[in-house]
Amino acid sequence: MSGDNLKKDLKKILEEASKSIKDINSISDLEKSRIQFLGKKSLLISLMKSLSDLTKEEKSIAGKDLNNAKTEINNLLADKKISLSKVDNVKKDDFDLSMPGKASSVGSVHPISKTMDCAIQIFESLKFECVEGPEIEDEFHNFTALNIPDSHPARAMHDTFYLENNLLLRTHTSSVQVRTMSENTTPIRIIAPGKVYRKDSDITHTPMFHQIEGLYVDKDVSFSNLKSIINIFLKSFFEQDDLKIRFRPSYFPFTEPSAEVDIEYIDSKGNKSWLEILGCGMVHPNVLDMANIDSSIYSGYAFGLGVERLAMLKLGITDLRLFYENDLRFLKQFQRI
Amino acid sequence: MKLTRSWLENYIDIPFSTDELCHHLTMAGLEVDEVLPISKDYIIDIDLTPNRSDCLSVKGIARELSCINKQYKYKLDEKSKGINPTCEQIDFKFNIIEKNICPSYGFMYLKNLKPSCVTPKYIVKRLNDIGINLVHPLVDILNYIMIDIGQPMHAYDADKVKGEITVRFAKKNESFEALDGNKYKLSEDNIVVADSSGIISLAGIIGSNNCSVSEATKNIIIESAFFEPNAIANKARKLKLQTESSQRFERGVDYNLPKKALIELQCIILENKICDFSNFHFLDYKNLLPKQKEVKIEFDKIRKVIGIDLKDENIEKLLLSLGCDYNKKTHTVINPSYRFDLSIHADYIEEIARIYGYDNIPVVSERINIKPSKPYQPFHIINTIKKYLYDNGYSECINYSFVNNDFLENFDWKNEEFNEHHKITNYMSVEQNKLRSNLASSLIKNIEFNNNMNSENSYRFYEISNVFGEKVEQILTCVVSGDKEDENWASKKQKFDKYDMTTIVEDLSKSFGVNKSKLNYVIKDIFYNKKSYIVLTLSISELIKEKQGIQEEKFTNYSKLPYIRRDLSFLIDVTVRYKSILKLIEETNVHSLKKILLFDLYVGKNIPIDLKSLGMGFIFQDEIKTLTHEEADKHIEKILRALNDKFKIELRK
Repeated sequence: MSGDNLKKDLKKILEEASKSIKDINSISDLEKSRIQFLGKKSLLISLMKSLSDLTKEEKSIAGKDLNNAKTEINNLLADKKISLSKVDNVKKDDFDLSMPGKASSVGSVHPISKTMDCAIQIFESLKFECVEGPEIEDEFHNFTALNIPDSHPARAMHDTFYLENNLLLRTHTSSVQVRTMSENTTPIRIIAPGKVYRKDSDITHTPMFHQIEGLYVDKDVSFSNLKSIINIFLKSFFEQDDLKIRFRPSYFPFTEPSAEVDIEYIDSKGNKSWLEILGCGMVHPNVLDMANIDSSIYSGYAFGLGVERLAMLKLGITDLRLFYENDLRFLKQFQRI
Repeated sequence: MKLTRSWLENYIDIPFSTDELCHHLTMAGLEVDEVLPISKDYIIDIDLTPNRSDCLSVKGIARELSCINKQYKYKLDEKSKGINPTCEQIDFKFNIIEKNICPSYGFMYLKNLKPSCVTPKYIVKRLNDIGINLVHPLVDILNYIMIDIGQPMHAYDADKVKGEITVRFAKKNESFEALDGNKYKLSEDNIVVADSSGIISLAGIIGSNNCSVSEATKNIIIESAFFEPNAIANKARKLKLQTESSQRFERGVDYNLPKKALIELQCIILENKICDFSNFHFLDYKNLLPKQKEVKIEFDKIRKVIGIDLKDENIEKLLLSLGCDYNKKTHTVINPSYRFDLSIHADYIEEIARIYGYDNIPVVSERINIKPSKPYQPFHIINTIKKYLYDNGYSECINYSFVNNDFLENFDWKNEEFNEHHKITNYMSVEQNKLRSNLASSLIKNIEFNNNMNSENSYRFYEISNVFGEKVEQILTCVVSGDKEDENWASKKQKFDKYDMTTIVEDLSKSFGVNKSKLNYVIKDIFYNKKSYIVLTLSISELIKEKQGIQEEKFTNYSKLPYIRRDLSFLIDVTVRYKSILKLIEETNVHSLKKILLFDLYVGKNIPIDLKSLGMGFIFQDEIKTLTHEEADKHIEKILRALNDKFKIELRK
């Protein structure tokens, strides 16, 4: 056997193997092909066995060629194996990422408590302490101690629900003011969130609603400070640094000077208007005196927020009554926490 | 208070647009509610605060504008003397019994009222613009003067008044028929004007029907008086009879006005030739009139409380611009007679701030001492509960605290009968006539409501609120109904049962480190309108109390030696409580028993009706040496024996 013949044979074998391996499309056929081209009875192996007939020099050249051919076929087989296994060999994946999950167990938080929590967190970060007062109140704490005597025209502003034994449902969280001032030492820096009640029911009023009262009493508390705290709160709450806020004079028997605070509201058409958002003022000296705090030394500011109003503005709720219907189509809209 | 721009221009120059005018009003505390353009004019509706009675007139508002901005120049037009009468007085006697309440009572007679007389055109126009109905030429003129300068007056048909006119308190059970056609039963604190036959008006509020002015009226008595605000306040409201007049008197009408109003009336009558008029006459008790109050101005206090740097002289200027009398030497200020709201120093602080302009007051944060603090515990606890319930698919509801007489309301939160509700004496509707003593009924009704509206078949609702039972208590109530999970492809439909509620209690007990036995809670089935609900109620008030005594959580070491588990399945009397099984096992004193697992509970088919089958796993572990199987066997035998002796259990294979 001559070296040239060997080269020709090898070339033929390689061509044949390459063609045959290319057409294979299963692992079992691949194995048959391996036996065919590299098995004990294959042409290549028999050529290897016939090397003994050659000279030492020829042996070394032919041996190299044979080994090269063997390596080449092995590579072809390995490549084919990889490509086959990609297509064919792994079980089909039936996991569907787009499927709905199993039973969902996410509930919802009522928008009022959500709003309340948000406001409380802001005030706690401003170092106000939370306190609570009773919903069933007496005339003293709800009116008299807040500088609203029986004949005062301001009582006409509160349509009060009365209970037996001269008790009533508090008409505002301001009733907490005097309790707190009498029971604590100055400085006093509190908020009092809770339910309040007024005898009023129409599109813009519900007989029960929620308020947060704020009170800060110390030496040197000023109206400037009040403006500052309200600014900080409203900008934090509405997450809007450039929120336009205005204070305008108003009247509450328990504060003087009193103010109502408006924020600028821009509707979807770009129309600007002022929306009343809260009432506040400097604690009336009569209220301080009633709580045994010397009004010639101490001053304070107080404010009252309507939670429903804040919630409506922040969440875009337009009908107040939705809050108390507890319709799942409403409640389930508030799933974020 | 409604008025028109042109009416206002009677008293002041307005060098501003109506928008600017309204802005000035609002920023002065006279909040403009609405502006309505009409032909060549604007109707302005102002929402007045109750302290500003001085602005319940066009003239008052003009005066206020001229105080806050000098560009609103006030046109002085004060008439201080009456004009020559055209007729004599009629011979009536007056007797002011309650001089304290009526320290100034003026009257005047009008005679020969012509049936053909009409309301002057400009008055018709102005009253129409602000929506006041025309009644009778003379009444219209009185209404006009009231809106114009702020003094309510009253006209009596002189030919219907009999005998002496007195101002006195109503007698017990005295009643009177008002102009509005309604009968009112008065109380002894109502101040009235009466003649010899009875009440002719409820002073300062409304006149009586029998002496009212009508088309046939020829002669009239005009009353123009000052009534003490406190004597009128609340009275109209209590009678559910609020009038333009009562609104003014109860807030305070300048006691100098009654005379001015009568002069004004004389002028209008003369100009328009309505009828003859007499001199007016006053019964005055000057020492009983409201005292103007002298207040010493503390400049530093004003600067400090407002937070502005305003010189003494500028403060003085502002006080003078308000129409106050100010004494430069004593630094004392006296309020104008029309400003009932200025009586103490704080009132002046407010005025200075208001005129200075709230917008101009700087924004300055207070300096506070920061102390260690933690979030308010009750809310922290409630928020933890809310988060847990949220994670478990519960939706929070908020309901009104008032309820009706439905039988579900007749229970307290522990589901015991309760009938001592706080009743609302002046409820708006019977549906809301008392305070609720449980939350379950509200939540059940929420589910019913949703069931009618929505396609859901699994309801998990909760509410946290105060309830008003024997005492006021804050509670959590969860109400569930229908399927345990929302409909989904992965799990079989399963109904809720009461043990689902037990899980909540146990999980919360772990979250707060408060032993389940220390929690006050109730789990019940409630049937309502043929539907079944499962209700869990837990006292948050008590949880908060318990939580206070709980120490911070601390690490305890644990054994790292291998454990051995032994299981027991047995039948036991169905009434034996799990609690007593645990107690018995504890009493066996097997120290290496580390944990007990209840892995099965079965009642029903293949088991006698009075028995239940329990499967319990026992995990043994020693702290110092490896436990042998022989020892574990011994322990389980001991437990088994104890169970057998006490409960006669039957082992299952």
